[in-house]
Amino acid sequence: MSALTLKNVYKAFGDTEVLKDISIEVEQGEFVVFVGPSGCGKSTLLRVIAGLEEATAGEVHIDGKLVNTVPPSKRGIAMVFQSYALYPHLNVANNMSLALKQEGVSKAEIAERVQEASRMLQLDDYLKRFPSELSGGQRQRVAIGRAVVRQPKLFLLDEPLSNLDAALRVSTRLEIASLHKQLDATMIYVTHDQTEAMTLADKIVVLRDGRVEQVGSPMELYNKPANKFVAGFLGSPAMNFLPASLLKDGDTRVIGLRPEYIYLDENGPLSAKVQHVEQLGGDTNVIAMVGEHMVTVRLFGQHAIAPNQQLTLGFDPATLHYFDE
Amino acid sequence: MACCRIGVLETGFSLLEIVMQASRFRWHIVIFLAPAVIVYTAVMIFPLFNTLRLALYTDVDQVRTFVGLDNFNMLFGDPRWSEQFWNALGNNFKFFFIHMLVQNPIGVALAALLSHPRLRFAALYRSAIFIPTILSFVIVGFAWKLILSPIWGIAPSMLDAVGLKSLFAPWLGKEAYALITLSLISVWQFVGIPMMLIYAALLSIPEEILEAGEIDGITGINAFWKIKLPLILPSIGIISILTFVGNFNAFDLIYAAQGALAGPDFSTDILGTFLYRTFFGFQLQLGDPYMGSAVAGTMFAIILVGVCIYLFGIQTRLRRYQL
Repeated sequence: MSALTLKNVYKAFGDTEVLKDISIEVEQGEFVVFVGPSGCGKSTLLRVIAGLEEATAGEVHIDGKLVNTVPPSKRGIAMVFQSYALYPHLNVANNMSLALKQEGVSKAEIAERVQEASRMLQLDDYLKRFPSELSGGQRQRVAIGRAVVRQPKLFLLDEPLSNLDAALRVSTRLEIASLHKQLDATMIYVTHDQTEAMTLADKIVVLRDGRVEQVGSPMELYNKPANKFVAGFLGSPAMNFLPASLLKDGDTRVIGLRPEYIYLDENGPLSAKVQHVEQLGGDTNVIAMVGEHMVTVRLFGQHAIAPNQQLTLGFDPATLHYFDE
Repeated sequence: MACCRIGVLETGFSLLEIVMQASRFRWHIVIFLAPAVIVYTAVMIFPLFNTLRLALYTDVDQVRTFVGLDNFNMLFGDPRWSEQFWNALGNNFKFFFIHMLVQNPIGVALAALLSHPRLRFAALYRSAIFIPTILSFVIVGFAWKLILSPIWGIAPSMLDAVGLKSLFAPWLGKEAYALITLSLISVWQFVGIPMMLIYAALLSIPEEILEAGEIDGITGINAFWKIKLPLILPSIGIISILTFVGNFNAFDLIYAAQGALAGPDFSTDILGTFLYRTFFGFQLQLGDPYMGSAVAGTMFAIILVGVCIYLFGIQTRLRRYQL
């Protein structure tokens, strides 16, 4: 039985349609990431699943039950908000136990669940502190703990890492991944960051303008993007797009070429003039102009390449993607 | 080595600068502060302390004579004064408690209703409830006198229209009711202030916290008691202290509705009206600036004690939540 099924979900605010005909199936225990540029409707979709917004049309099933008219607290979900949304007047332990008290769970069980969550999230030393006395990363863990103690069927995470600094983001990402394994829970995670999507997801749902562009595992999406948008959105640096006429006269299609599949080749078909070089130590990103088209080349290792230098570039034709404009 | 030398040089310079600055008097601070200090001293500090000083003197054969705390002894102990003083003080506390029990809870409730996202015409209600606050006491006092008049007021005929004429009583004219009636009129006039302050506090609660509550099953009235109320407690504290100061300084409404004698039979007499009669005199009573100063000093002390209890006893314990 699937943990979440969306059938033809629509959402409109007044005349603006934010979600258009969304149908998604999420299996038990899956880690699904909704990804897309800002304004694509991914957060709204999460809020529709949570019950904070009502779908204008369509069906939301959680754990096999139609929940369109069920209030959020009865849907068997827990949500982690972007701003953490901790209760400022309650300490960490009470923040985690408020929902359980409201449900009427026994005191002994509440204590046990809070203890379990705090051990899992290394919050034992902070249980008596108030949210204002915690760092961003600690608040984040409390927000996750508040979700964990409820033992939901479905975790909803709304851009949980976007308020953390870069280093913390990487370590928290790992924590979320290991938490997912430990709890064996179904998680839905919203982000605009394609790295988070690629590293965490079992399944990625790419959204644009309120529509699902493609659904699949990270490697499926990377290797077989359904369209130019998905191809350009996933992968960093982003895929290069060139008119196919560069290679073959009269071809009206667009070719997509990932920066990591381009290499320096004296006999290569593309000649380029270097604009800018980004030395990353492990990698060198070369931004060059092929005619009037900008191309990013990702070379492994360190290369002595200077701006205005002429390069000839090659690639394996098998790594090319073709898109209709 | 080079870097160390530079470090030493820098420290040397900064020490020198500190020494130079300390030796120079900073006139600009004095000059910038002067206007505020002078004006405030002239209109607040000097009159305040002079009034307190005046309370220690009395008039003996038209000569100002120092009598120490005699005025206060007379005020608290001599039945000619103390009876009226304790009556006014007791009435003032009743006046305050009615505000605390009626005005502030209603203000909070109105704010909670107004902040409901699906309420229509919220701006209209807000303005309508706030308008009495900007009216003059004289208008309010006079208007309510007219409304409640047993002879030509509209209250008796309105009650008559719904068949409740038997409930009517000359509320402003009966000793048992007059103070409560005036308190409620004052509540009617000022309920907009707690409402506005709480309304602003409620609006400042982030939407996501309420949504987190919704997910946790804390909705409706539960959300109010468990999430919103704890977060607006600091505002309720401020409202309480504003009510306290306002009530113990009150004078105008009683004077406008009942006159300086605060009738019937002093049943609506509060410290403000008592002070007025003492200081300026009224009808057969002669004004006595020295006793008046003693009353004013006592009022000042009561308010000061109340505010201190709030500031040091309550406010320090209220956690200011970082929302």
